[in-house]
Formats: sequence, C-alpha cells, structure tokens
Amino acid sequence: MLAIRDLAFRYPQGETPALAGVSFEIQRGEVVGLLGPNGAGKTTLIAHLAGALPVQQGEITLDGQPLARVRQNNPTRIAIAPQEYAFYPMLSVRENLDCFAAAAALKGAHKQQRIEACLAFAQLERYVTTRAERLSGGLKRRLNLAIALLPKPEMLLLDEPTVGVDPQSRAFLLDAVRALAREGTTLLYTSHYMEEIESIASRVVIIDGGKVLCAGTLEDLLRERAPQVRLAVEGIPEDKLKSLLASFGQAEIIGSDWQVTLTSARSAPQLLNTLEEAGGKVLYASFGRRNLEQLFMALTRRSLRD
Amino acid sequence: MLLALMKKELLALSRDLHGLAALFLMPILFIVIMSLALKDVYNPPVKTISYVVEDHDGTELSHTLLTQWEKRHGKPLDHADNWRESVQNGTVGYALIIEPGFTMALFEQNLDEQGVQLRLLTDPGMESAAFSAIRAELLMLASELRGQVLLSSVRGAQQAAGNTATALSAEKLIEAERLSAGTRPTSVQQNVPAWLVFGMFFVVASIAGLFVEERQCGALARLATLGVSTRTMILSKALPYLGINAIQSALMLAVGVWVIPLLGGEALSLTKIHWGSLLLILLSVSLAAIGMALALASLVRTHAQAAAVGPIINVVMAAIGGIMVPKFVMPDFMQRIAELSPMNWGLEGVLAVLLRGGRWAEVWLPAAKLGGFALLMFIIAALLFRRREV
Repeated sequence: MLAIRDLAFRYPQGETPALAGVSFEIQRGEVVGLLGPNGAGKTTLIAHLAGALPVQQGEITLDGQPLARVRQNNPTRIAIAPQEYAFYPMLSVRENLDCFAAAAALKGAHKQQRIEACLAFAQLERYVTTRAERLSGGLKRRLNLAIALLPKPEMLLLDEPTVGVDPQSRAFLLDAVRALAREGTTLLYTSHYMEEIESIASRVVIIDGGKVLCAGTLEDLLRERAPQVRLAVEGIPEDKLKSLLASFGQAEIIGSDWQVTLTSARSAPQLLNTLEEAGGKVLYASFGRRNLEQLFMALTRRSLRD
Repeated sequence: MLLALMKKELLALSRDLHGLAALFLMPILFIVIMSLALKDVYNPPVKTISYVVEDHDGTELSHTLLTQWEKRHGKPLDHADNWRESVQNGTVGYALIIEPGFTMALFEQNLDEQGVQLRLLTDPGMESAAFSAIRAELLMLASELRGQVLLSSVRGAQQAAGNTATALSAEKLIEAERLSAGTRPTSVQQNVPAWLVFGMFFVVASIAGLFVEERQCGALARLATLGVSTRTMILSKALPYLGINAIQSALMLAVGVWVIPLLGGEALSLTKIHWGSLLLILLSVSLAAIGMALALASLVRTHAQAAAVGPIINVVMAAIGGIMVPKFVMPDFMQRIAELSPMNWGLEGVLAVLLRGGRWAEVWLPAAKLGGFALLMFIIAALLFRRREV
C-alpha cells in the first residue's frame, strides 16, 4: 500500500541529512511501530508522509501512485495526530472540531455525523463547550486524536500520542489505537515507550541517523537476534568467570547478575556444563530472547543523543 | 472552508481581551485624550487669558485703549505690586504696561526717537500662537488709536477723527478663512484621522500573535496537511480584519461626532465630505495594515517577537508619519521622512477628505501608494509563509 524508497532529505542549513535513504513498506491494515532515538529522523519521515515536507530525493507511493499526486486529489487519505497539541487553545472542543472538519472539506450532515462520531470515539462528549486550553493533558491528547480522525483517514500517523499523560489516559489511547486497527485503519505509531510498541504493533521499523537499522515483524526481529542467558554463579573468581562467559559471547554485569549474549542459541547447555566443570555453582539461570528495548539499545548504542 | 477559518479567527480575537483593547479601546482613548488636550493649540483661548494693567500714562487716550481691550478680553485682574512675579510664574497670563509718554508718542509723526511706550509681558509658558495673536491685536488697537490722533491733529476736527480712523483701517477689506469641507480645523478634526489610522495599523499585534500561536502549536501545519492552501489561509485572516478595521473606523468617527462634545470638546464635522473617497482611503489603509501584519507574522518566530516588533514598528511609523506630532510643525527634512511612512499616506488621505473636502482626485495618490504597499506585503507574506512550511 504505502512504499517508501530511498527517501533522503536535508533541511536548509542542515549539516547532515535528516533522512539518508530510508526504505520500507506498510501494508493496508498494518500497525507499524516506528522507533528511533531523538534526532533519528522519525518526525521528518512523518512530516513527509503527512505532506508537510516535499520529497527531495527518493519516492513515496500510495497504491502505486506518488504520494504528492494522491494528496493533491485527496489530502485526507493520510491523517496525522502530531506530537504537539495541534489545535486552537482558545476555541472550545466543538469549535475546534468544527474548524478542522471544514478544513478537511467535510460539509453538512456528513460533517456533523463525523464530529459526533469522533467526539464519541474520544469520549469527549462532556467537554464539547470547554475551551481546549482548559482541558487536562489526557483530554488534550484525545482531542488531538479526534481531530485527526475527522476525515476518516485510511492511514493514521500517530507521533508519540501518549507523551505526558497519566496511566489511565495512556491505557485509553492504546485501546483506541487497537480499536482503530480492528476497524482496518493502517497505523504508523512512533513512541519512546517500547512496551506500547510491543503491545500494539505487528511490525517494527527502527531508524537512526536517518537510516533504517532494521524492519520486520516483532516476532522475526526478536527471534533473529542472538539469545541471552542471565545467571548468577558462585564459586568461581570473577576474573575467571568473566573469561569463561566471554568465550560463549558478550558478557556484562547487570546488577548482581551476569548477562551473556550468546553467539549461538545452541551453546546455552554447554555454557552451564562449562561453569559446573570449573567448580561453579549456578544459583539460577534464565534463558530467553531480548525484549524490544534491549534490541533497540543494541542497535542504536547507549550514547546519549541531543 | 474559508468561512469556517474566518469564524475561527473572529472567535479567537473575541476571546483575546488584550487584543480587543489594543484595537478598540486604545485608539478611542487616544482620540479623546489628545483631542481634549490639544483643543487650545488649534483654537488659542486668548480672550480668556488673565491679565493685569499698569497705566503710567493715565490719559484719556490710554484709558480709551484699555477700555477697548476690556471689551475684547474682559476686565483685568486687580492690580497687585507683585504682578511681575505672577506673570513670571504663570498665575497671570500677561501684563499690559503703558509708559508715561504713550499719549505724547501717539502725536509724534516720527516714532524712531520715542522709545517703547506700550509693553506686553507674558507668561514664559504662553503658547506661541496665543502670544502672536495677543501681540497682533494690541498692535492693531494702538495703530487705530494713533491713526485717529494723527488725523485729528492734521485737520483739527476732533469730531471727524473717529470716522476717519475707522476709514483708515483696512480690516473690513480683509477676510481670512481656512478653506475646509465646511468646518474649521480643530483638534478633533486633526486627531480622529490620526489615531484612527494608528488604531487600524494595530491589527498587527492581533494577527501576528495568533499566527505565531497556531504555527507553534502545529495547527497551521495540520491545516496544511488537510489541503488548506496558503491563499485560503491568508484570505481567512485578511477578510475578518477588513471587517474589524471597518468597525474601528465607524467607532472612531462616532466618538469624534458624539462623544467628544459630551466631554467639552468640539464635535467632528462630517458635513459635505465625500463618502466614497473616505471609504476608498480607509479601505487602502486597512489593506496596508493587514498586509504588513501578515508579512510580519510570517517573519517573527516567537510570541515575544510578535508582541514587541509589531507595536514598535507601529509607534515608529506613527512618530515619523505625523500621527503623534502633526507634520506641519516638523522641519523640512522630517517632513520628507514623514512621507516615507504608510501611516502618513493614510493620514494625508483621510485629512484630505475630512479637512479639505477632498474627493477622488485628492485621495487616489495616497490610496495607490497604500495599495502598492499592501500588495508588496501580501506577496512577502505568501513567500515567507511557504518558506516557513519547509
């Protein structure tokens, strides 16, 4: 459905490209999680998809047609719920919906029906006359989402929609996203909360430095990566233990435990045998794949970003 | 779509009390305060200024002079020894001092050797127009009296002197009148146009403020992603403020016509003015103000910049453009600078209609200048608007 090919973009006065050849696809009805540290190029990529930035190099197509042409004919097929509260604080909830519905070229009874549907979806009916600036953070996020849904888009771009909200509002927003996915809306969801992505996304794209580091289903990405063993051992001096563990993969101390990223999943039993033969006593050991956060950190490194 | 965006603009403005105050209250206050404060500059109250008299001559002729002065200026204050100090500190407006040789001097044909016999000493703070008016009146009275005296001495016909002296005066041959649309210039007639133009340009603050806010919060970008064109966005801002400027104009004129008289000032006169020309020049001012506001709004990045830059530019344009200080009191080089200010073009156009009875021929040039300025500003706004989207 949506295909991004070798997309590159450099801001005026930008020293390095914000995007440096990004390619991936999103199929109709998919929920794709877009991950990346600050400055990775996520917002620039989203801005391209929303039509807010022109394509400098590469191409974006929707159903085989260049996105720019698709947007010319129907700019509301792809909608965005931006990270900022992109509405008018001095207007009431209904006035905001009215304004953006008209801007989306909705008219008459259809416009009213969509406004009511979005109010109901975001559970904002009680607040229709409240000025947006007086809403709580969670309600503002819901209004932001409701506005994005007004034109009933085929694809929705959600840019960190749960930043700064309480757990209740966060749960509500995640439920809303799942409901949209069930209805068949294609979703591209960016967040720094890995557990959110794990809970709603069927595919994940991780980008950094304007490039795609990996893309695929969550299952594949986590399975492809090397398995890990986390264990606690006594009876072996630390230096010796470290060299033993390092012979099976990358070893590091996490709290009071050792974590070994194995070079091969099949070497786990051999690791345990080796430790026992060296006189060590394995107090406990857990074997499993990395979670998304570990994968993300491994791919994007630990160094702090601007 | 355009109507909904215009409605949004008006709703936002209606909830911005500071913006409303700047657009409506501030120019009204300026009109009221400045019209009343400057009332006497345009109409010096020379007839009501207090004065004292020192008559050291004490003759019939000096008495005649003082009697005629009393008829025009009312009775003098009671004489006091410290009158000079009173004049010096402004508690008395002026003093007339008739020296002992006044009557004798009137009879002399050659005045070169007579020295000063009639003195006018005024409060140091007396406005120059009032000083000139009193001095001229005193000169005229003394000249008439001297005319009477000289003729009577030549003919020896005391009785005929009055008539002849009157005949000598050219006053009846002269009529001085300021040509206008049917009313003489007053502070109201000058101040309403000035502060009306100033107030219309204050849409800069409101437009720029909301513009920055919606750009910062992402609402503008969101409108763009929904397919709203730059042209529609600019129009949705320009059209409501044309209406706001129209309401401002009606309100300011109404204040001049009905409110100022209630406060003791003279009413703004709209009789015999050419309404079509007034509408043309006001529309031109409005377009120029809105165009400048949009260009500035597209240029600034923060609320602080919007709140500071717009009013600063307005005040500077007003200061050099003859809004705060009338152009006619400026020196030549400042008058040439004033002609660079769009506010001056607007002011001259409105004054041409309200004060000089101007019609199309008198307002087309300032209207064209303002129209050109507006077009330039709209183009800059559109270009900056598109650039800021990237």
